[in-house]
Amino acid sequence: MDTGEITGLCLDIWRDPYGYCRGLRDKGQRPMAYFCSYAPEEIMHAAGFTPVRLMGAPRNISSADAHLQAYCCAVARSDLDLALEGELDWLEGAVFVQTCDTMMRLSDIWRLNASFPFHGDLSLPVRMGEGVSLDYLRNELRRFKDVLEGYAGSPITPEAVRNSIEVYNRNRQLAGEVYRLRRERTGVLGGLEGTACVVAGLWMRKEDHNRLLEELLQGLGEPAPAEATPPTPLFAAGSVCATPDLFELARELGADIVDDDFCCGHRYIEGLVELEGRDPLEGLAERISRRINCPAKHSAAKERSSWLAERIRECAAAGLVLFLQNFCEPWLFEVPFLKERMREEGIPTLVLESDLQSFSRGQLRTRLQAFLETIRGI
Amino acid sequence: MGDAEKAEKERRRIKSTEAMRELMTRYYIEAKTAGEKGVKVAWITSGGPVEPLYCFDVIPVYPENHGAMCGAAHMAVELAEKAEEKGFSRDICSYARCDFGSAYTQGGPIGGLPRPDFLVCCNNICNTVVKWYEELSRFFGVPLFIFDTPFVRGELSEHAARYEMEQMREYFAFLERATGREFDEGRFLEVAAKSLEAIGLWKEILSCAENVPSPMTCFDAFILMAPVVTLRGTDEVITFYRGLLEEMRQRVEEGIAIIPGERHRLLWDNIPIWYEMRNLGRLFMEERTCLVADTYTNAWTFDRVDVSRPLESLAEAYASIYLNIGLEQMLEQVVELAERFKVDGMIMHSNRSCKPYSLGQYDIARMFTRRTGLPALVIEADHTDSRVYDRADVETRIRHFLELL
Repeated sequence: MDTGEITGLCLDIWRDPYGYCRGLRDKGQRPMAYFCSYAPEEIMHAAGFTPVRLMGAPRNISSADAHLQAYCCAVARSDLDLALEGELDWLEGAVFVQTCDTMMRLSDIWRLNASFPFHGDLSLPVRMGEGVSLDYLRNELRRFKDVLEGYAGSPITPEAVRNSIEVYNRNRQLAGEVYRLRRERTGVLGGLEGTACVVAGLWMRKEDHNRLLEELLQGLGEPAPAEATPPTPLFAAGSVCATPDLFELARELGADIVDDDFCCGHRYIEGLVELEGRDPLEGLAERISRRINCPAKHSAAKERSSWLAERIRECAAAGLVLFLQNFCEPWLFEVPFLKERMREEGIPTLVLESDLQSFSRGQLRTRLQAFLETIRGI
Repeated sequence: MGDAEKAEKERRRIKSTEAMRELMTRYYIEAKTAGEKGVKVAWITSGGPVEPLYCFDVIPVYPENHGAMCGAAHMAVELAEKAEEKGFSRDICSYARCDFGSAYTQGGPIGGLPRPDFLVCCNNICNTVVKWYEELSRFFGVPLFIFDTPFVRGELSEHAARYEMEQMREYFAFLERATGREFDEGRFLEVAAKSLEAIGLWKEILSCAENVPSPMTCFDAFILMAPVVTLRGTDEVITFYRGLLEEMRQRVEEGIAIIPGERHRLLWDNIPIWYEMRNLGRLFMEERTCLVADTYTNAWTFDRVDVSRPLESLAEAYASIYLNIGLEQMLEQVVELAERFKVDGMIMHSNRSCKPYSLGQYDIARMFTRRTGLPALVIEADHTDSRVYDRADVETRIRHFLELL
């Protein structure tokens, strides 16, 4: 495939990820869902499953309303709705990781009402980056591995986990290279295409995704000639982007999201699992604990606002777009502080809330356009 | 109102409420003047381990309790608006918004809470408190200790118990640094024993409502629980609850019903709708319906504490409280309450501000009905933000529900 075909395929997958996942089942794979970038995909992969991310879909809710109140996020509501409406019948099971209060309760609701063969829970600590919680985390991963082994009916050997970690580490390196090309504005890959190529990997077996990324990187041609007015570089942050709309709108409005802090984007691929001289599960625990935290977690070591400002400066973005899920308390609590800190740092900030149930592209477009006009001093 | 009616009303009134008001007023005066006396103040979450604070002579202050007070005094909305002006979304917990607003303006029924010297946050009640306390820590520029209690499905795992025990030790070290004093084990055991005694008394008091007719409603318990939340571990709280228990026993003996002509007995789920207690109280009185028990005040009745190993068992008890467990475990407790208190049904407050308490209620309601054959009604509200409350709708729904009992 040439570069255009690859980016086209990845954008199609991002537009209809669950349709793509159905195809995995047809190819003999065993898709296992997870919802959160803290999920230990390597263990699931080592057990022979294909981990796939559920992160909501724009849709009208029907069945989920009998189980979840309207004041929780569209991601939880639409994922549950998909499951109850039978649209995820290709799934073998789901793994819930304790992050926010909504996901914690969704796990039980899902287990009680959906009927997939496997259901797994992982109770993560809220304190990240500290020795006191690392031991707990390691043991919790071990417990999870035992549960999954029990279901799979065969042991998940350290070698298998090690191999899976190598596949995932390779994936993080390749995706990191895609991110670098886009961040450094080399002209060979834009924000929309670059992100699509990484995000599409959330629904692919990582070996296949690695091959695709290798092909993409090898096939990238000469940089496109510089445009007379280069696109306005933006940095975006938040949890998930269920659709590529934000990136597409930025493109349409003469901007480019050159880097991000999404848990389906840069936060997902950042940092390798160390394998040297340690048990593979230990390496997994260390990566989870060390990485920049999701706002649902507490990090005593890393302070998000300074970390964000530094990242934004590194890619010379002209502004920050906080793209948040509606009702997402962990992020909403941080908004006033983040805005204040960005103001101190001289970084213009726009807060957009995504609501998949009444998704309005027009509204997003208007707000983004106004923000860009402010940045450009029009 | 005629004289006889007045006398009857007086007979039915819970007299200990005055003692409680005095106790809580004294407590707030002490907390608000702590700084002048060189006594440290810590803000702590409602499910947090408070015993160590008393052990170090630190005065604990509860923003959630304060939020409830603001709600009951109909002052929560104006305070929440102060936080909203600073950019806090209306979709975050209204206790937190109310608390931020009060911290910014020193507003509310007691002119705001005393400034904290440090903060103690335990996420056994929700993850929201972590975000809330992070913001408080930034705002006041004071240290924050997080006591992390991972969610428990089924049994508490060995590694989780170890993690919590480690943090108990860290907590003591944190308090030693914050107060400049050394941990005194003897003192701790004394405080823990008093705390357990208070909790035991509170449990007995709640159990008095098993009697038909009930001597109290859970709306009374919502008010009367303030000391066991804030002051457990002290002598005053034991004295107070001994008095209250005696009063309750007396009421049972004399057959004094809180709701005259008690016709229905119901279970309440979730945090009270603080600004609506009076109206709902009136409605239930009219309907001769007694809310005899609830899942909220029972959260402070740790069952598993083992006095021979106080530190470990307190750590375990804090990890396994009502909101930190799976839905089926919650259902077991709800069913147990329903049977013990002989209720005819359950009212569940779907509380927009509290996801861990509210998400899953629809399923619990169905499972509850399947298990017990009793009906359950879910009403939509918020614990302190009255702007989202539709009184007419809720009251109509409650009346219809009661008609069907």
